[in-house]
Amino acid sequence: MFTTGSKLLVGSAVLATLAAIAYGVTQDGVMGTVGLVSAAVALSFLAGVNLFTRDANVWAEEISSVESAPAAAPAPADSIWSMVFALGAVVLTIGLVTYQAVFVIGLVVLLIGGAEWTAQAWAERASAEASYNSTVRSRIANPLEFPVGAAVGIGIVVYAFSRIMLWLSKTNTVIAFSVLGTVILAFAFVVAYKPSLRSKTTGGIVAVGVLALIAGGAAAGFDGERDIHVYETTEGLQEEGAEICTSPEVFEADEKASQSVAASAAAAATITLSEEGELSYDVPGPIEAGAEDVLTLPRSNPNNIIFVNESSEERRLSVDLGTRVEELDEGEREVPNLVCTTLVEEGGEQNITLTIGAPSITAEDGYFFFVPGVESARLNLVVP
Amino acid sequence: MQSASTFKNMSRRVRIGLAVGLAAVVAGCAQDAPQDTWDPAGRNAQMIHDLQWPVFAIAGVVGVIVLSVVAYVIVKFRDRGQAMPEQTHGKPALEIALTILPALILIGVAIPTVGTLMALNETDDTECVVNVTGQQWWWEIDYPAQDGCGEGISAPIVTSGQMIIPTDTNVLVRGTSRDVIHSWWIPRLNGKRDMVPGRVHTVRLQADEPGIYAGQCTEFCGLSHANMRMEVVALDPADFEAWKAKQLSEYEAPEPDTLAAAGEATYIAQCSRCHQVDGLEDAEGDPVIARPDLQVYSGAAPNLTWFMTRNTFAGATWDLLIPECRAAVWEAPPGEFGERYLEGVPEDCLNSVDLREWLRNAPAKKPMYADPEQLEETDGLVRGMPNLALSEDQIDELVAYLLDRQ
Repeated sequence: MFTTGSKLLVGSAVLATLAAIAYGVTQDGVMGTVGLVSAAVALSFLAGVNLFTRDANVWAEEISSVESAPAAAPAPADSIWSMVFALGAVVLTIGLVTYQAVFVIGLVVLLIGGAEWTAQAWAERASAEASYNSTVRSRIANPLEFPVGAAVGIGIVVYAFSRIMLWLSKTNTVIAFSVLGTVILAFAFVVAYKPSLRSKTTGGIVAVGVLALIAGGAAAGFDGERDIHVYETTEGLQEEGAEICTSPEVFEADEKASQSVAASAAAAATITLSEEGELSYDVPGPIEAGAEDVLTLPRSNPNNIIFVNESSEERRLSVDLGTRVEELDEGEREVPNLVCTTLVEEGGEQNITLTIGAPSITAEDGYFFFVPGVESARLNLVVP
Repeated sequence: MQSASTFKNMSRRVRIGLAVGLAAVVAGCAQDAPQDTWDPAGRNAQMIHDLQWPVFAIAGVVGVIVLSVVAYVIVKFRDRGQAMPEQTHGKPALEIALTILPALILIGVAIPTVGTLMALNETDDTECVVNVTGQQWWWEIDYPAQDGCGEGISAPIVTSGQMIIPTDTNVLVRGTSRDVIHSWWIPRLNGKRDMVPGRVHTVRLQADEPGIYAGQCTEFCGLSHANMRMEVVALDPADFEAWKAKQLSEYEAPEPDTLAAAGEATYIAQCSRCHQVDGLEDAEGDPVIARPDLQVYSGAAPNLTWFMTRNTFAGATWDLLIPECRAAVWEAPPGEFGERYLEGVPEDCLNSVDLREWLRNAPAKKPMYADPEQLEETDGLVRGMPNLALSEDQIDELVAYLLDRQ
């Protein structure tokens, strides 16, 4: 009548029912009664299922049923992906009510878990042989898993690196990563010359190192970046151009802001301040004969100019572009339109980009380059 | 008869293959091919030509040999069910020979190639400097003041679409771009050179004879890349001096109470925000200064001071001359070319159909991103010329005024 498996469930259901009655009669607590009744219902349901399937056993006489019985089917292999899938669903749900980033992470985890779970489940139906099914799964999933996994792994390591570098001060960053580079090199050296180390020990050390890096990156990321002082470029200081560009004094500005290789390569012109205090220029190809005192630049074009200071003092190159209209709360006013480099050391070079919208005839005295503090240094600029 | 029967005896595949090959060969022929790299018209292009012919010949011979051997092997040793032949590995003599031979061929090609590249980059013998600036989708050409270019240039000249150079003169083009990367290429005069924002690249030009040498932007640069053309017009030195004198001459206002005079007022009201006409003054006598940097993404628009002294417009895409007049210039013998070109665009030669269509709705004629409302990334600045919604009367006036610009 009762199968072996169902006896325990039937007995438990009866016991839960009795307990619910006893608890309900002797105690006032409703919750306890509800819990016990729920347990009785659940156990009764499971007992019913077990009775219906008769513990998934087949009669000994039914030989043909033995192979097709559920109990004869191989159990699915252990899988972490169902848990990953569930984790993704939870994170996704939390993301719905918290942050979009959490939602996206949940979605990604959910999709990865779902895809892997599907691939594994599909492979397990390929045959009754677990090892063959595993091969099938690998053949399908590995071409995707390896590159994506490598990309994610490298991304995490690089991101952790960047967080640590931005957390440390500039000097300490150089020191820390010089030391780290040396340690890695030394470790590689030891591994290369001690083949006996190529084992789990090596893998363990690398794993610990990577984990330490990730942990350090996470900690640094939570702590935030170091204070980075943003220096304005001279072009950014144009608002105060009249004060700065006519002065031989030092003003705070990023001297390297416009020193990129791209900006200083194939420049429109190189302007040199000689020891004698004269300005001269050079352009790609020969200089136009007879026009050494006039440089012509196209309008509305990002013209890169390299200033070379061959004088014996720190100097800046300034450009007088006439006047410009400054917007004020109470209206407008005309102010000198000056652009300049920062102070350039003796023998130094600096790049400045000039994009000039209006032609030089719009300025009363035309456009011209000059060097504050050096009267003789002047070079006319024509913008047609 | 024998050849006809031979053709009939060919298999269908062979006949189709021959037909396709013949079609490909014929497609490479053209009577009107102004951008022909195999027809050099100057010393620089000739240097390239002298290099590419032997390289092409060597590459062709090598290609034919390789393909013939491959075809022979495929046919000769195809699978006919024969037994697997004896397998061997390594043949040092053959391997060494097949390594040394290509290396020698490549060295033989590299030596003249490097020499030609160095010669093409030579700038010391420059006799004239011209600045070229690319932007979507036209070329601005300006001549800085200099002692070169014949008898010198006293003040900058700014034009567009057509670069005028004196014949038999080493011209150095200094090129850059205002927006995206473009590429300057006049195939009959030299190789191509990319024009990159923020950088100045140089390329030499020299034309042996007077004539028009066509080119085309060869770096994809946006919607109307195909409509970004340019021409180099080579004039005899005397004709070049006449052209310069015209470009540097004083502005002359149209006769009062004429259609052109009305066109001048319309021009100031509608066009002068972007297009410069040097010497033009408004009713108060103040110079009219265009500020295309406030209107157009590239910050520039063609200078129209002597618009009708060139014979193309809108990025050298359309002719200002009707076909008969155009042919008279393009096909003129070298001795007469300069005179015909310097005639400009007489009224009876004006291609008013294309010019009017352009003035009526430029973006409809040449695709441009001209709707500022859809240009958030350009802060509302248009790329190219927008539709100004001009009336037909305004168009008549502007055409009359522009005809006066010669």
